[in-house]
Amino acid sequence: MTSDRRPSDRRPSHAAVTGIGMVTAAGIGAEAAWRTVRAGGATAAGPVPALAGTPADFGCAVTDFARAGLVERRKAWRLDRSSQFALAAAKEALDDSGLDPATWDGARVGVVLGSGIGGAATWEKQHRVLLDQGAQKVSSLLIPMLAVNMAAGYVAMECGARGPNLVTATACASGATAVGVARDLLRSGACDVVITGGTEACLVPSIISGFSQMGALSTRRGEPHAASRPFDRDRDGFVPAEGAAVLVLEREADARARGARVHALVSGYGASADAHNATAPDPEGAGAELALRAALADAGIGPGDVDHVNAHGTSTPLNDLAEAKLISRALGDRPAVTSVKGVLGHALGAAGAIEAAVTSMTLEHGFVPPTANLDSQDARIEIDVVSKVGRDTRPEVAISNSFGFGGQNAVLVLTRA
Amino acid sequence: MSDVYERLVALLAEGFGLEAGEIEPELTFSELEMDSLALVELGLTAQQEFGVTLADEDIQSGDTIAQAAKTIEAKTAGLG
Repeated sequence: MTSDRRPSDRRPSHAAVTGIGMVTAAGIGAEAAWRTVRAGGATAAGPVPALAGTPADFGCAVTDFARAGLVERRKAWRLDRSSQFALAAAKEALDDSGLDPATWDGARVGVVLGSGIGGAATWEKQHRVLLDQGAQKVSSLLIPMLAVNMAAGYVAMECGARGPNLVTATACASGATAVGVARDLLRSGACDVVITGGTEACLVPSIISGFSQMGALSTRRGEPHAASRPFDRDRDGFVPAEGAAVLVLEREADARARGARVHALVSGYGASADAHNATAPDPEGAGAELALRAALADAGIGPGDVDHVNAHGTSTPLNDLAEAKLISRALGDRPAVTSVKGVLGHALGAAGAIEAAVTSMTLEHGFVPPTANLDSQDARIEIDVVSKVGRDTRPEVAISNSFGFGGQNAVLVLTRA
Repeated sequence: MSDVYERLVALLAEGFGLEAGEIEPELTFSELEMDSLALVELGLTAQQEFGVTLADEDIQSGDTIAQAAKTIEAKTAGLG
């Protein structure tokens, strides 16, 4: 084993973000979501009817999705909600990119989405059918609605993307892993365009009860708007969310050549494992640090160049402390840190993609959004967390952290276009 | 059109994302973008609605909605 072979020996590879689409509790559509995130006022949470009667009965749900009519009725009835979110976000991102699926070479277009859980709502519903009515009443669509890979398959069917097609599953890092893998497909030359992102829709009793029984969730039922409070002294767990984000990535030279609007560049990616515990992070963030350093090396960027960190910042006591130690140790006190989970909650396998999209818009607009509900920063957290009002500081280099159960870590470096 | 046909159209509109106005007796299921899995689902729903069991071969994607209604009528008559 040698330690002197570093990925930075390779030329930096920039993937241009030419399209963004989002479906979140804070707004449907990238612009609507960005407006809410940049205000950073409160958690977009409320009681979730499907969770009524369980102890953890609130979350960040996308309430107006069906009414928005983004997925044709003829298709929607046979798609799990997680795939519907992915289709809506992909359509918005493709429209934004200016690429025309009618004329592109589909074999050169890949799809890489992240998802943590897959079609949980469908599975839960059909399991109830199995128990109540018997095996012969179970839907023949159960598998294509449930399987975790299907969202990417449906996006391909919708736009004729016939290149590599897969779903990454690294729990709460899935969306960031997807973006990293998508960039690798551009760098290797396997694809010219990759539609990437993440989707999750599992605000259903079995799944949320599972998180609740772990003690992972905020119990602030009386004040859902104040429940997600990353880095705050009084944080008590994450607020589960649903949603999706899709980014269209192209090699920077290709995007420039066709005159595309470039929101930001994905310039580095690093991944690692804690090899520590199923659900608790390594308390010092040692595994996450490997991913962070690998991402910086991949981008050919030094730790002192990082202006902004879009933190994983789940609002759990353990994550936020370990992540703050990592940021402090690896990057010092220079970067302005924010966690958009204060507004958006934690959309699990979609979170990394949503945060990559928000980080892209942060760089594009030169504005770092504040962390909602950060009233008194935990005294043990010695980093510069943006609270109350955002900052017009025009960051050039940003990090987006995502850490999943299983100790799976994915870190992206994004730079201003 | 028969009562069974009207009920079948209502099922398609309610559960299969179709508009009642776009369903015509002479349209086939495939013209309405209903593939084999969609027809399995229709079979389950129809079983509940009409109390008859539809096998895979009873309704196929090349059949028209009117033909399917006749098939169901024949089955329900058989019950009597």
